[in-house]
Amino acid sequence: MAEHKVLLAGTDEHDLTQLAEYRAIGGYRGVEKARAMTPDELIDELQRATLRGRGGAGFPMGRKASLIDRKSAKPKYLVVNADESEPGAFKDREVMARAPHRLIEGCLISAHAIESRDVFIYIRGEYLTEYEILTAAVEQAREAGILGDVQITVHRGAGAYICGEETAMLESLEGKRGQPRPRPPFPPIQGLYMAPTQINNVCTIATVPVILELGAEEFAKTGVPSSPGTAIFSISGNVVRPGNYELDLGTPMRELIYEHAGGVAGGRELKAVVPGGSSVPALTPDQIDVPLDYDSLGAIGTFFGAASLIVVDDRCCMVQLALRSTKFYMHESCGKCTPCRVGTRWMVQILESIENGTATHADLDLLDNIGDNILGKVLCALGEFAVYPVASYLHKWRDEFVAHIEQGGCPFHGSSSLDGILAPSDQHAQTPVGEEALV
Amino acid sequence: MSTELVRVTIDERDVHVPKGTGIVETALAAGVEIPVFCYEPRLGAPIGACRMCLVEVEGMPKLQTGCTLTAQDGMVVKTARTSTRAAQGQNGTLEFILVNHPLDCPVCDKGGECPLQDLTFRYGPGNTRMSFDKLTFEKPVPISPTISLDRERCILCYRCTRFSESVSEDGQLVAANRGALSVITTFEDVPYTGAFTGNVTELCPVGALLPTQYRFEGRPWEIVDVPTVCGLCPVGCNVHATVREGKVKRILSRNHPEIDEGWICDKGRFAFTHLRAEDRLTQPLQRVRRHGLEPVSWEQAVDEAERLLRGARGRIVTALSGSETVEHAYALGKLLRVGLDSHQAMLPEEISGGLDAYRLPLSAIRDADVVVVLGDVPIVERAPVVDLWIKAARRNGARVVDDANDPAVAEAERVVLVWSGPGGRGGSTVAKLAEKLGLAGREGCGAFYLPETPNGRGVADAWAACCDEEGEAVESIGLLVVSGDEAAADENVRALAEQAEATIVLSMFGGLSAGWADLVLPGTGYLERDGTFVNLEGRLQRLRRTVDPPCPDELEWIAQLAARFEVDVAPYTAAVFAEVSERVYGGLAFGEVGERAPLRGYPEAPERIGREALPEPPQKARRGEIRLVAYRPLFSGAAVERVTELQFQRPQPELELSADDARRRKIATGDLVTVGSNGSAITLPARVNRRLRAGIARVALEHANGLHGVVEVAKAEAEVTA
Repeated sequence: MAEHKVLLAGTDEHDLTQLAEYRAIGGYRGVEKARAMTPDELIDELQRATLRGRGGAGFPMGRKASLIDRKSAKPKYLVVNADESEPGAFKDREVMARAPHRLIEGCLISAHAIESRDVFIYIRGEYLTEYEILTAAVEQAREAGILGDVQITVHRGAGAYICGEETAMLESLEGKRGQPRPRPPFPPIQGLYMAPTQINNVCTIATVPVILELGAEEFAKTGVPSSPGTAIFSISGNVVRPGNYELDLGTPMRELIYEHAGGVAGGRELKAVVPGGSSVPALTPDQIDVPLDYDSLGAIGTFFGAASLIVVDDRCCMVQLALRSTKFYMHESCGKCTPCRVGTRWMVQILESIENGTATHADLDLLDNIGDNILGKVLCALGEFAVYPVASYLHKWRDEFVAHIEQGGCPFHGSSSLDGILAPSDQHAQTPVGEEALV
Repeated sequence: MSTELVRVTIDERDVHVPKGTGIVETALAAGVEIPVFCYEPRLGAPIGACRMCLVEVEGMPKLQTGCTLTAQDGMVVKTARTSTRAAQGQNGTLEFILVNHPLDCPVCDKGGECPLQDLTFRYGPGNTRMSFDKLTFEKPVPISPTISLDRERCILCYRCTRFSESVSEDGQLVAANRGALSVITTFEDVPYTGAFTGNVTELCPVGALLPTQYRFEGRPWEIVDVPTVCGLCPVGCNVHATVREGKVKRILSRNHPEIDEGWICDKGRFAFTHLRAEDRLTQPLQRVRRHGLEPVSWEQAVDEAERLLRGARGRIVTALSGSETVEHAYALGKLLRVGLDSHQAMLPEEISGGLDAYRLPLSAIRDADVVVVLGDVPIVERAPVVDLWIKAARRNGARVVDDANDPAVAEAERVVLVWSGPGGRGGSTVAKLAEKLGLAGREGCGAFYLPETPNGRGVADAWAACCDEEGEAVESIGLLVVSGDEAAADENVRALAEQAEATIVLSMFGGLSAGWADLVLPGTGYLERDGTFVNLEGRLQRLRRTVDPPCPDELEWIAQLAARFEVDVAPYTAAVFAEVSERVYGGLAFGEVGERAPLRGYPEAPERIGREALPEPPQKARRGEIRLVAYRPLFSGAAVERVTELQFQRPQPELELSADDARRRKIATGDLVTVGSNGSAITLPARVNRRLRAGIARVALEHANGLHGVVEVAKAEAEVTA
């Protein structure tokens, strides 16, 4: 099946960063439609569309909007999570770079639904080009009078992965240290500046104009019933054509890897697929016939996550891969809650000892047990993101871990290539003084 | 919190608590302890950081933090005592906490009184599975001359940074870096400065933040914590003095929820070493012609005192400090008034009973709707903990205004007035205002006057009560009796000494009386005294002798002297108190004053005594004029001057200006300004304070060079440099 461009519709034929071109293909008609509706009608429409959040958790966007306490005397805020930091994910980036007005239109519709006049787009600090495109687009919309009484503020992050966690993002927006808050209270009740706040991912919000254009019923017919619509899948790693592909939800993973992305590069064997960004449990080659939607991936013990597939071929040492991903989470742990702050560093220490051959069999159980002591005990999901992939590597490729111990070192003897599989942590991180002393 | 009671089951025990009660408190009500590190209700909303309080809640798939949960009807909670999952979670957390924590308890000052140590013994694993290098940091790092930080021991519970952010609101302590490398620090390593910094050493649940004064000074089995009351300001915070081998080693807070909520200021906490100051007097000194002051025996000193007193009968004037205990003041008064017919005394400030109808516990400030702060002396400089209560009120949504005519005052239900400034006639001005606003008898309404002396009210009560006769004003002073270091340091008192034929000074420190006393008697400090103080709420509180003084207690020689004038003064505090109490405190027994004293009513208001320290300046400057308020800073006075490690806290030479006045004169923060009046002038850097009223400028007394009242303020001429 071919790509089904909805979020990215028109981006190949037009320069949709320009307001006129976006309007020429019917842009901003959705917001007109939405503003003709009452907020209640609009929320009802969004709920019937059952659009699930594209940020990772898959919570229905319409239901989220319905939770906002609109009767509150406080201002209502819409915050768009554009702090795309998950290793392997680059879908939001493409939407902002190529269809910024679709995102802005989605903001205006969603703001109308929750009676908000203040929209914040929290964009990853490293996305400078996208920031410039987006702010220029907001300015065009403002000048054209499209924003109405809504204020859209694009705020740049400062390089912390944790600020993609919704409550840490709110803290950061308030000018504080980006660390998650305990929940409850949940943001729809008490979010930004203690006021009701709706937080959605870029792709979620950019899908909203499509719902208005098609109507909820028509939209719900695309994709699969439990996960309607399309998603932009970022695929990276050892494939022939890495990149973003917008596909109907429910498309088989095999089709994405072998048809759209051209299969494993160099004709090598597929070893593993990490399907939702680096934070989710990996799949083995016999599991890739799974349809790409929330429930199907959940049913086989992994997550849809950020719709970002990392394809790993047979040259890769799973211990090295675990180390690379755990180092990232150790580096990005915010330091607020104990299990994540301490556990991620300890995991790295154990993984390093496995890789360099000084570990024992007991260390494998220890690694597993440390994971258990993090899972479900942390303040936010970051600590769990460190554990999910490593636990899956350890369980599914245990013989490889054991081989490290029995051979007193890496069985790949340095031949393992992690080229193109996630970025090493020192490449994406500005190293603070003393970092080398961390482990 | 609602008054609706809900039923919660904790470890199979049912308990009824108000809806919304925290689960940690709910469990306590059921007799179950949930261990915590980061949780501390006085720091505001819980943050759920340390994960020590994990519990299992029926119907919730994941373990929950007890500190962030609130009681809902029908909730069924299992703690680590009955839930294997909760126990596993808790053990895992404790193991994580200990992974990088050094095993240096035997040399750690916190050892033996350390929550982490206690909880590890109670819940922790007996062994460690951590076989790699622990994180190391440079240690200890002084974050100020009074506090040192050991980052290896730190478990990052964020209690200290939360205190700094949301209690003292100074924002100086912050976390830097991320993840395992997170460290507590001050911004750009500037020393942690402010009135309340020491509280973080008590909040710290491990040995990370420690007072430098106590470093390696005592082990828990060698010390005794003696409950007493701080005597350095009129708040009267309840404290513990940690005593080892007859020496005070440390001052800790002793939470009185109505007075201090467990917070004390750095002066109260760190100034105690003045007890061991180099110029501390232990022996009486007598002026010998051409030789100056020379040490004499106590017998000689008492004989000499008798001689001086006898020679000046009826012509003795007493300068009190307001820091005497009620009993000392009463005994001295009885000796001089009954025995020597000398009734005239002065206090550094006026005392009035006018506020007695508007008494409230300080904690009522937190619950006020509107707090009216009158007078322009910074509250924190005069009665520091009151400042924390006002900050708490503001965080609770109260309006804090500086004008009693503010429309918010008329609309509010609970109004509290606070007078902090020169003038105020001992509180009678603010009492009149309270009457005008109709605050009498209204729930949650009241008024406070912040005096300068720690026990002015108690001293005034005692002086008034010790004799029924009233004397004439003394025309020529035969003998001036100067009681205490504050009086000895007072310029007005020294001026009086010039007129007196002779002067007896009662003082802790030699430096204060060297040039002008005829007889110097060593005095005791508040930590060495047994007795009572009356704080600014009008609350009678008990001081305990935490260590023996290096000289006899005042009561001893006052009683001796009294006997020589046929006056009956007991040398025992309890007996003297019984006499005062009969007359002032409704016969309350000494033993019933209480370790956490309640706020009792007053049977009668005593007469006013004392005088203004400075002539009262006009309350309102005319338009365009600036009135200079020269205030006595918190970090000043005889005790602070003798504590080396507190010198960094002394006020900077600077002039605070309101935004209005600064703008009009084109002055910005940091600019040099000239302040002048009647030909004398000083030059200081300016600091613009947006909270200051227009027409007011402020400077610490020690930088005022005698200036006060209406002044000219102008940007200093740029200096021409070669």
